[in-house]
Amino acid sequence: MPTTTERIPSRPVRTFWAVLGVGTAIDITAGWLLAQPGYSPHARIIFALLPIPMNLVLVALIVRRIRQLDEFLRHVHLEAVAIAFLLTGVAVFIYGYLQQAHVVHPLNFGIVWIFMVVFYGIGYLIAARHYR
Amino acid sequence: MKTRLRVLRAEKDWTQAQLAEVVGVSRQAIIAIENGKYDPALPLAFKLARAFGKNVEEVFVWEDDSLEEK
Repeated sequence: MPTTTERIPSRPVRTFWAVLGVGTAIDITAGWLLAQPGYSPHARIIFALLPIPMNLVLVALIVRRIRQLDEFLRHVHLEAVAIAFLLTGVAVFIYGYLQQAHVVHPLNFGIVWIFMVVFYGIGYLIAARHYR
Repeated sequence: MKTRLRVLRAEKDWTQAQLAEVVGVSRQAIIAIENGKYDPALPLAFKLARAFGKNVEEVFVWEDDSLEEK
Protein backbone atom coordinates (compact mmCIF):
# COMPACT_ATOMS: atom_id res chain seq x y z
CA MET A 1 0.00 0.00 0.00
CA PRO A 2 1.39 3.46 -0.82
CA THR A 3 2.13 5.80 2.04
CA THR A 4 1.67 9.54 2.09
CA THR A 5 4.50 11.70 3.31
CA GLU A 6 4.28 14.85 5.38
CA ARG A 7 4.42 17.96 3.23
CA ILE A 8 7.34 20.27 3.92
CA PRO A 9 8.19 23.33 1.81
CA SER A 10 10.31 22.08 -1.05
CA ARG A 11 13.42 23.84 -2.33
CA PRO A 12 11.60 25.36 -5.35
CA VAL A 13 8.93 26.78 -3.01
CA ARG A 14 11.56 28.31 -0.73
CA THR A 15 13.35 29.70 -3.77
CA PHE A 16 10.10 31.22 -5.03
CA TRP A 17 9.41 32.99 -1.74
CA ALA A 18 13.03 34.17 -1.48
CA VAL A 19 12.93 35.61 -5.03
CA LEU A 20 9.52 37.17 -4.35
CA GLY A 21 10.86 38.77 -1.18
CA VAL A 22 13.98 40.15 -2.83
CA GLY A 23 11.99 41.25 -5.88
CA THR A 24 9.47 43.10 -3.71
CA ALA A 25 12.28 44.79 -1.79
CA ILE A 26 13.83 45.93 -5.08
CA ASP A 27 10.43 47.16 -6.33
CA ILE A 28 9.93 49.21 -3.16
CA THR A 29 13.49 50.54 -3.29
CA ALA A 30 13.09 51.53 -6.94
CA GLY A 31 9.83 53.34 -6.14
CA TRP A 32 11.46 55.12 -3.22
CA LEU A 33 14.49 56.18 -5.28
CA LEU A 34 12.24 57.51 -8.06
CA ALA A 35 10.34 59.58 -5.50
CA GLN A 36 13.55 61.31 -4.39
CA PRO A 37 14.51 64.58 -6.10
CA GLY A 38 17.99 65.37 -7.36
CA TYR A 39 18.81 62.32 -9.46
CA SER A 40 19.71 62.74 -13.14
CA PRO A 41 17.34 61.47 -15.85
CA HIS A 42 19.79 58.66 -16.66
CA ALA A 43 19.89 57.53 -13.03
CA ARG A 44 16.10 57.60 -12.89
CA ILE A 45 15.90 55.32 -15.95
CA ILE A 46 18.22 52.86 -14.21
CA PHE A 47 16.08 53.00 -11.05
CA ALA A 48 12.94 52.38 -13.13
CA LEU A 49 14.52 49.32 -14.77
CA LEU A 50 16.01 47.88 -11.57
CA PRO A 51 13.09 45.48 -10.87
CA ILE A 52 13.31 43.77 -14.28
CA PRO A 53 15.88 41.01 -13.55
CA MET A 54 14.23 39.67 -10.39
CA ASN A 55 10.79 39.91 -11.96
CA LEU A 56 11.99 37.86 -14.93
CA VAL A 57 13.41 35.26 -12.54
CA LEU A 58 10.03 35.18 -10.80
CA VAL A 59 8.25 34.65 -14.13
CA ALA A 60 10.64 31.81 -15.00
CA LEU A 61 10.04 30.15 -11.61
CA ILE A 62 6.27 30.37 -12.04
CA VAL A 63 6.40 28.96 -15.57
CA ARG A 64 8.59 26.10 -14.33
CA ARG A 65 6.13 25.43 -11.51
CA ILE A 66 3.17 25.39 -13.92
CA ARG A 67 4.98 22.81 -16.05
CA GLN A 68 5.40 20.62 -12.96
CA LEU A 69 1.68 20.65 -12.13
CA ASP A 70 -0.47 17.68 -13.06
CA GLU A 71 -2.94 18.00 -15.93
CA PHE A 72 -5.91 18.68 -13.66
CA LEU A 73 -4.25 21.55 -11.76
CA ARG A 74 -3.03 23.04 -15.05
CA HIS A 75 -6.65 22.89 -16.23
CA VAL A 76 -7.86 24.73 -13.11
CA HIS A 77 -5.11 27.37 -13.39
CA LEU A 78 -5.87 27.87 -17.08
CA GLU A 79 -9.49 28.65 -16.23
CA ALA A 80 -8.35 30.97 -13.45
CA VAL A 81 -6.04 32.83 -15.84
CA ALA A 82 -8.80 33.09 -18.48
CA ILE A 83 -11.24 34.47 -15.91
CA ALA A 84 -8.62 36.91 -14.59
CA PHE A 85 -7.74 38.05 -18.12
CA LEU A 86 -11.35 38.72 -19.06
CA LEU A 87 -12.38 40.35 -15.78
CA THR A 88 -9.28 42.57 -15.86
CA GLY A 89 -10.28 43.67 -19.35
CA VAL A 90 -13.78 44.51 -18.14
CA ALA A 91 -12.43 46.35 -15.08
CA VAL A 92 -9.99 48.42 -17.16
CA PHE A 93 -12.76 49.35 -19.61
CA ILE A 94 -15.09 50.38 -16.79
CA TYR A 95 -12.27 52.29 -15.11
CA GLY A 96 -11.63 54.09 -18.40
CA TYR A 97 -15.27 55.13 -18.69
CA LEU A 98 -15.32 56.30 -15.06
CA GLN A 99 -12.14 58.26 -15.83
CA GLN A 100 -13.89 59.94 -18.76
CA ALA A 101 -16.76 60.77 -16.40
CA HIS A 102 -14.16 62.35 -14.06
CA VAL A 103 -15.23 60.07 -11.24
CA VAL A 104 -11.76 58.51 -10.71
CA HIS A 105 -8.17 59.65 -11.09
CA PRO A 106 -6.17 58.74 -14.23
CA LEU A 107 -5.28 55.04 -14.27
CA ASN A 108 -2.11 54.04 -12.50
CA PHE A 109 -0.68 50.94 -14.22
CA GLY A 110 0.03 49.44 -10.81
CA ILE A 111 -3.72 49.14 -10.35
CA VAL A 112 -3.97 46.83 -13.36
CA TRP A 113 -1.61 44.40 -11.62
CA ILE A 114 -3.80 44.47 -8.51
CA PHE A 115 -6.89 43.80 -10.66
CA MET A 116 -5.09 40.80 -12.21
CA VAL A 117 -4.07 39.31 -8.89
CA VAL A 118 -7.50 39.75 -7.29
CA PHE A 119 -9.34 38.39 -10.34
CA TYR A 120 -6.90 35.49 -10.58
CA GLY A 121 -7.77 34.58 -6.99
CA ILE A 122 -11.48 34.83 -7.78
CA GLY A 123 -10.99 32.80 -10.97
CA TYR A 124 -9.09 30.10 -9.10
CA LEU A 125 -11.86 29.81 -6.49
CA ILE A 126 -14.51 29.58 -9.23
CA ALA A 127 -12.58 26.93 -11.19
CA ALA A 128 -11.62 24.88 -8.11
CA ARG A 129 -15.23 24.93 -6.89
CA HIS A 130 -16.50 23.88 -10.32
CA TYR A 131 -14.35 20.73 -10.36
CA ARG A 132 -14.79 19.81 -6.68
CA MET B 1 -17.70 9.37 -19.06
CA LYS B 2 -18.32 7.22 -15.98
CA THR B 3 -15.60 5.85 -13.77
CA ARG B 4 -15.28 2.92 -11.37
CA LEU B 5 -12.33 4.56 -9.69
CA ARG B 6 -14.02 4.97 -6.31
CA VAL B 7 -15.09 1.30 -6.19
CA LEU B 8 -11.67 0.03 -7.26
CA ARG B 9 -9.97 2.28 -4.74
CA ALA B 10 -12.24 1.02 -1.97
CA GLU B 11 -11.44 -2.58 -2.95
CA LYS B 12 -7.75 -1.83 -2.50
CA ASP B 13 -8.49 0.13 0.68
CA TRP B 14 -6.54 3.09 -0.66
CA THR B 15 -7.23 6.71 0.25
CA GLN B 16 -7.49 9.35 -2.45
CA ALA B 17 -4.11 10.69 -1.35
CA GLN B 18 -2.51 7.28 -1.69
CA LEU B 19 -3.90 6.75 -5.17
CA ALA B 20 -2.78 10.26 -6.10
CA GLU B 21 0.74 9.41 -4.97
CA VAL B 22 0.77 6.13 -6.92
CA VAL B 23 -0.12 7.83 -10.22
CA GLY B 24 1.74 11.08 -9.49
CA VAL B 25 -1.08 13.60 -9.46
CA SER B 26 -2.72 15.84 -6.88
CA ARG B 27 -5.49 14.60 -4.57
CA GLN B 28 -7.75 17.25 -6.13
CA ALA B 29 -7.33 15.50 -9.47
CA ILE B 30 -8.48 12.17 -8.00
CA ILE B 31 -11.48 13.86 -6.32
CA ALA B 32 -12.52 15.58 -9.55
CA ILE B 33 -12.18 12.36 -11.59
CA GLU B 34 -14.11 10.28 -9.04
CA ASN B 35 -16.89 12.86 -8.95
CA GLY B 36 -17.13 12.83 -12.73
CA LYS B 37 -16.19 16.51 -12.90
CA TYR B 38 -13.01 15.96 -14.88
CA ASP B 39 -12.14 13.47 -17.59
CA PRO B 40 -8.45 12.58 -17.51
CA ALA B 41 -6.29 12.61 -20.62
CA LEU B 42 -5.22 9.23 -22.00
CA PRO B 43 -1.82 8.97 -20.23
CA LEU B 44 -3.40 9.57 -16.81
CA ALA B 45 -6.32 7.24 -17.62
CA PHE B 46 -3.82 4.50 -18.46
CA LYS B 47 -1.82 5.17 -15.29
CA LEU B 48 -4.96 4.95 -13.16
CA ALA B 49 -6.04 1.73 -14.84
CA ARG B 50 -2.57 0.19 -14.48
CA ALA B 51 -2.52 1.15 -10.78
CA PHE B 52 -5.40 -1.29 -10.32
CA GLY B 53 -4.07 -3.84 -12.79
CA LYS B 54 -6.97 -3.14 -15.16
CA ASN B 55 -7.50 -2.01 -18.72
CA VAL B 56 -8.72 1.53 -19.30
CA GLU B 57 -12.18 0.37 -20.32
CA GLU B 58 -12.55 -1.55 -17.07
CA VAL B 59 -12.07 1.70 -15.17
CA PHE B 60 -13.63 4.29 -17.44
CA VAL B 61 -16.90 3.78 -19.28
CA TRP B 62 -17.63 5.90 -22.33
CA GLU B 63 -21.35 6.77 -22.28
CA ASP B 64 -21.76 8.99 -25.34
CA ASP B 65 -23.31 6.61 -27.89
CA SER B 66 -23.77 9.29 -30.55
CA LEU B 67 -20.77 7.85 -32.39
CA GLU B 68 -22.00 4.29 -32.29
CA GLU B 69 -23.54 2.82 -35.42
CA LYS B 70 -27.28 2.33 -35.35
